[in-house]
Amino acid sequence: MSWSIIQALVAKDLRLFFRNRFFAYISIVGIAFYIGIYFLMPSSLDEALDIGLYAPVLPPVFEQVQGEGLSVELVDLMENLEKGVTEGRYLAGIALPPDIMEKLATGSKVTVDVYFAADTPEELKDAVTNLIEELAYMQSGQILAVDISEEIIGPDMLGKQIPPRNRILPFFAIFIILTETLGLSSLISEEIESRTAQALLITPMTVKGLFLAKGITGVSLAFGQALLFMVATGGLNQQPLIILVTLLLASLLVTGIGFLLGSAGKDLMSVMAWGLPAMIVLAVPAFGVMFPGTVSDWVKAIPSYYLVDTVHLSANFGLGWVGVWQNLLILLGFDIAFIGLGIIALRRKLT
Amino acid sequence: MSLRRVGVLLGKEFRHGSKSFIFIIAIIMPLLLSLVLSLVFGNLFSEKPRLGVSDEGDSQITSLITESDSLVGREYDSPEELRKAVEDGALDMGIVLPSDFDNLVIQGEMTEITAYVWGESLAKDRIVLAATIANMIRDVAGQEVPVEIVTTTLGDAETIPWDDRILPIIVLLAIVFGGIMVPATSLVDEKQKRTLSAIAVTPTSLGEIFLSKGLVGVIISTFMGVLVLVLNQAFGIQTPLLIGMLVLGAVMASTFGIMLGAFIKDITSLFAVNKAIGILYYAPAFVYLFPDIPQWVGRIFPTYYIVQPVVVISQQGGTWSDIALEVFVLVGLILVMIGIVGVLARRTAQREALA
Repeated sequence: MSWSIIQALVAKDLRLFFRNRFFAYISIVGIAFYIGIYFLMPSSLDEALDIGLYAPVLPPVFEQVQGEGLSVELVDLMENLEKGVTEGRYLAGIALPPDIMEKLATGSKVTVDVYFAADTPEELKDAVTNLIEELAYMQSGQILAVDISEEIIGPDMLGKQIPPRNRILPFFAIFIILTETLGLSSLISEEIESRTAQALLITPMTVKGLFLAKGITGVSLAFGQALLFMVATGGLNQQPLIILVTLLLASLLVTGIGFLLGSAGKDLMSVMAWGLPAMIVLAVPAFGVMFPGTVSDWVKAIPSYYLVDTVHLSANFGLGWVGVWQNLLILLGFDIAFIGLGIIALRRKLT
Repeated sequence: MSLRRVGVLLGKEFRHGSKSFIFIIAIIMPLLLSLVLSLVFGNLFSEKPRLGVSDEGDSQITSLITESDSLVGREYDSPEELRKAVEDGALDMGIVLPSDFDNLVIQGEMTEITAYVWGESLAKDRIVLAATIANMIRDVAGQEVPVEIVTTTLGDAETIPWDDRILPIIVLLAIVFGGIMVPATSLVDEKQKRTLSAIAVTPTSLGEIFLSKGLVGVIISTFMGVLVLVLNQAFGIQTPLLIGMLVLGAVMASTFGIMLGAFIKDITSLFAVNKAIGILYYAPAFVYLFPDIPQWVGRIFPTYYIVQPVVVISQQGGTWSDIALEVFVLVGLILVMIGIVGVLARRTAQREALA
């Protein structure tokens, strides 16, 4: 196996990639779009229910619950309350009667006016109604004879929730890497179809060398693009080394899958067509990060789970090596398995 | 231009093209995504907090939770399963009710329940769920509510259900994917296999080839659009107008597919283009998904003029006068694209003849 030949082949493939200016340009434009979409997405999450309150006399219970998922803003005029609701500044506007404290103290029923915008979903109306009723119970001194003992499962993210754009970060990273599966498999398929791969093998280039050269090209393209995206979006701000290692392992994984696809398809078109369902399956674990609880444990059978989970845990929760080493080990195992399978399949195709 | 030749080419496209993977994917993918988006995402985007319950007895609270419309309630067989669901983020909160819970509450005896709270659940969901649980318990205990709440609705904006918000992206997926990819891949494939050069020396013109390939895209795209609307029970009452809009949308998608096919040399570049600009095809759908985005943003994207009339007709019972402006813009865009395709056809013909 001659390194100079491998080097020449890698240089040739990369040159081909960048010589096709259109292809190179469109790849960069693609990443720019993903970066653009990332920055267009909300960078924060509103955790509180914004309530406007008109209260000539303020019951103390409202002060107690302020900040616990409830943001109560006092208004001085009823007109301002209605305006705030109509303009969407408040989810609901509550108007309390001036004699609320006396009535609650004497056990009389209090009438509370609540204003909602017409497009407020029913579940939010119910939520606000339940809240007001509970606050009224509390204010009137009716104690709940139940002690609710709370146990927080997982890291408590109260006040530091992951914004939507950070949840989508692993999805974009994996999507960019996965797309290169198609790039690499088409590169291989093209060589097989035009029989240049077979031609190469009658030179001092060995089958091993060919795999290595194609592998280096695939890893460089996938890793390079994902890295560019992560740098631009600040995805490397936490645990950069872990994320870099994860992206590298992911690039190896897609290289293995690329070998398999390249050898499975009979031409470029069928490689692309097989590649799309493969991409969809590999992208599934990312939905579990974007929408927690939607995928069950079977998702762990998909190799990309370990990529997505590691990027999510490291970039969004700052988890170190101790927290993710198992993921990385499994990902490495998948890498070895897929590269091995890919090499066997390609070798059979070529010889 | 010979219609007979176009017919022959069209038959050939359906006979041979229907075996290609892209053709199959153009049919399967929109159906699959439509199913997934409708079933899964309809609930995902819901703002209802998710509450689970594991009942060791036979409490009324359990049925109140599972039957509630204001939250997503689920019952679990054991506290362990409940805890796991909370850990996975499937629930915002899960409560374990001890046996004989209702009797203890009715008798006013102090009792304890365990609540598992997902660490990533929002503060507002936590407070809402806590208040809802407390209300349910008070309800069972027979406590009298100390307030009477009178609600007033302000303004005339309407709540858009998630099913309705998702429909545009499903329609766009159905029309755009097949409409663009089938003619584009077919054309690029012919270029790569040099069969286009072979046809160039026969009496068949490139315009006829483009037209036949475009028609395949239009037929598949329209068929998928109709199918997706039928499956989503969103056909409305203006059937001819709606089908007309789907056809126009399919024509636009296919013309763009032909443009891409004529412009791009190889299949890798075609997929690279789709990778880069594919998100723009579906961009208007995001404006429907998230009404907080100013609606004018959608108008920037050409596919808006496909989806907006479909939404107006199918969801709002709109008529011709409601969609006329969008239709004129759409027709204008199609004419511009056909003009570009004409220029590309001439260039391609010269190139293929030289080749």
